Amino acid sequence: MTAIARIGGRGSFPPALLAVAAIPSLLVVLPVAYALLRSSEAGFAGIVSELTRPMTIHLLSNTMTLAVAVTTLTVLIGVAAAWCTERCDIPWPGLWRVIVSAPLAVPAFVSSYAWASLGPAYQGMGGAVMILTLSCTPLIYLPVAAALRGIDPSFEDVARSLGRGRWRTFLEVVVPQAAPAIMGGALLVSSHMLAEFGALSFLQVETFTTAIFQQYEVQFDNAAAALLSSVLMAICVPIALAEMRIRKGRRFSRSGKGVARNPDLARLGGFRWPAVALFGLFGTLAIGVPFATLFYWLTHGTSAGYGLERVAPALVGSISYSLSGGLLTTLLAVPLVLASMRMRGWLVSMAERLPYAIHGLPGLVIALSLVYFAIRYAPPFYQSPALVLVAYVMLFLPLAQSSIRASAELVPPELEDVARTLGKSPLVAFVEVTLPNLLPGVGAGLALVVLQLMRELTATLLLAPSGVVTLATEFWSYTNDRAYAAAAPFAAALVIVSGVPVYIFTLRTLRRG
Amino acid sequence: MSQISRRSVLAGGAATAAAIGFAGTARAQSAGTITLYNGQHRQTTEALVDAFTKSTGIKVTIRQGESSQLANQIIEEGARSPCDVFYSEQSPPLVALDEKGLLLPADASTISQIPAAYASPNKTWMGATMRVRVMVYNKAMVKEADLPHSIMDVPTAAWKDKVGYVIRDGFQEQIMAIVKQKGRDGSLAWLKGLKQCCKLYNGNGAAMNAVESGEIATALVNNYYWYGLAKERGEANMKSAVHFFDKGDAGALVNVSPIGILKTTKQAELAQKFLAFAVSEAGQIAMVTTYAEYPVRPGVSPVFKLKPIEEIGIGITAHEVGGAALAYELQREAGIL
Repeated sequence: MTAIARIGGRGSFPPALLAVAAIPSLLVVLPVAYALLRSSEAGFAGIVSELTRPMTIHLLSNTMTLAVAVTTLTVLIGVAAAWCTERCDIPWPGLWRVIVSAPLAVPAFVSSYAWASLGPAYQGMGGAVMILTLSCTPLIYLPVAAALRGIDPSFEDVARSLGRGRWRTFLEVVVPQAAPAIMGGALLVSSHMLAEFGALSFLQVETFTTAIFQQYEVQFDNAAAALLSSVLMAICVPIALAEMRIRKGRRFSRSGKGVARNPDLARLGGFRWPAVALFGLFGTLAIGVPFATLFYWLTHGTSAGYGLERVAPALVGSISYSLSGGLLTTLLAVPLVLASMRMRGWLVSMAERLPYAIHGLPGLVIALSLVYFAIRYAPPFYQSPALVLVAYVMLFLPLAQSSIRASAELVPPELEDVARTLGKSPLVAFVEVTLPNLLPGVGAGLALVVLQLMRELTATLLLAPSGVVTLATEFWSYTNDRAYAAAAPFAAALVIVSGVPVYIFTLRTLRRG
Repeated sequence: MSQISRRSVLAGGAATAAAIGFAGTARAQSAGTITLYNGQHRQTTEALVDAFTKSTGIKVTIRQGESSQLANQIIEEGARSPCDVFYSEQSPPLVALDEKGLLLPADASTISQIPAAYASPNKTWMGATMRVRVMVYNKAMVKEADLPHSIMDVPTAAWKDKVGYVIRDGFQEQIMAIVKQKGRDGSLAWLKGLKQCCKLYNGNGAAMNAVESGEIATALVNNYYWYGLAKERGEANMKSAVHFFDKGDAGALVNVSPIGILKTTKQAELAQKFLAFAVSEAGQIAMVTTYAEYPVRPGVSPVFKLKPIEEIGIGITAHEVGGAALAYELQREAGIL
């Protein structure tokens, strides 16, 4: 098999960009090497006994239960909601679009704290599945809604004219066309579940990630924690492979779309008001409860006001770090995605998949590996903002990749070929023809990465220069001290500034279809 | 007289001119800056740092984190660690750094200010504040008279499903105290019992809130969690109260939050000044005003209404309960970790 080869006639690829596309692969090696290095310190016998401990099995079953349950539920709810708002005659669809997208602005650890404070019934696995489902549903809803908007209803007309009923048409015609959006979202949700820490620690659910944090908390010899990280990576790999499978051999771009007519809206009939009630319930649970709790803490408790003078620096920290991290991540993702679409060979597809393999790793492992390597081999970078940005890229590159890919697949490579035949150089053809068409995906990806970076905690804590604070780190350290009232303004500010990327992401995603 | 004062004014003017010439850096250099890795509650440390900077002009950059995570970070950083002083909430992180030979002894004049039991035998770290292990209980769910006198009575049938526990923040020291009194086997049996009949919480705050809300009758936590919640909600509104185990019982363990200097520091002199200030009267008062902890310095009284330190404690040194390795091994054997 070839390592790298151009796909004949499918656009062109400037070599300079190919070099940039290689950078992420080099970064991925670091945490993998670190985890394996530290794991090996346990010795073979140690590794075997660690992996077969009842505790490891318990963690494995919890981690898988959570990932599978939340992914399944978010897919069911997200797809149903998208169908209702885009293809049915539900009243006030615009309102429900906002409501189903809004949980994106509330970090999972904030909503989990809100629920956990309501009582023990919401803690444990059941509560975690419910709360994380509510908070992750937009990750499925948005891309699926966008896909449903983009689907030409004439395919459905054909199916109906061939005698298929509404349901079969939906399952056999609509779902397959929305499948890349559904699967892409599902993979995102499941890897989020693998890496989730803050929310689960409020909700008292033990997974590999919480156990890794715990190991670093109770001892000072990290072989066991590294081993758990290695297992977590082993779980991420099939997810990365699955994503590769789905993409294989599909072509989504059409040279000429023609004019698609607006789809007929399905009549909900007697289900109309029950559907409205369900949307209302979703809004109450996903947004109402966290907001009410935040409001309560903003107005109660004596720690209120403590540290208020730090909201401004934390806001500056959050915005500057998340924005520059988002830009760098997106910048690196573009060549990576294009290389994998325009070039053939195992090296290229590996390069694009590798970031997914570490996407489920908790920030703590990524951060410690960077501490280890930076202090040994690049001491001037240690505790510099640059190192934080590197960690951000490693953590969230796949988010940008998935978004950009969705746009890139809609750009026919022939367009760029036309530019070439008109005498443009490869780079100019790329910048003038392909790039503008990628912008919706780049914008959506950037917004999503910035959003996730605003709530990033561990890598920021471990790697940022001493004294740098962000809204997320401040919120976390106050809730650790149970100074909820002091923490509330930071959470509120976080939710408010999150609104900007959420708005952009929502708009970009829904317009793309 | 007037001549002297005129001369000093002139000298002062020259000095001011020089200072302006050197801009801000000259002034900053004269006092200096140290980097503090802080795992202790931030409000406590910030109060100490503010008082220290006000009194000495030395600036302190705080790196806030979880104590053990910071210790692990210092270990990974090795010889190039930018950390000058480490203030941990619990003793195991500093005991671990000490065992790896990463700490510089504190000045003898500083460490002699506090009782020897609160410091490391080789003078590399010393307690800065203290806290007590307690049982908090919901007043509507249990009567004070029925509460156990010994922590060894907790994991028994009588208390099944009525006790919450937390395996961080003081728990390792708790295990080591039981090892000290009842041996390895006694401690393992206690842990197994705990796993069987008590409920695990992820944090002391969560356990405290669970007791207050009536979700569980009692919980084993550190004393100041109750005082923190009482400060937040108002003491009169509290549905829970604090119960101390008998003096001498492992349950009445007093833990220190220790502070130490890294061997790799290039600012040893400033770091020593910080430690000296931490155990000074001013430093102690600054810290125990924000959190309901005990001062380590004899003669300084707690600001919160706490049970006198003479009526609790078990006569075990901070160093003796700081060994994380055995506590870790026992928790794994009991199936808690």
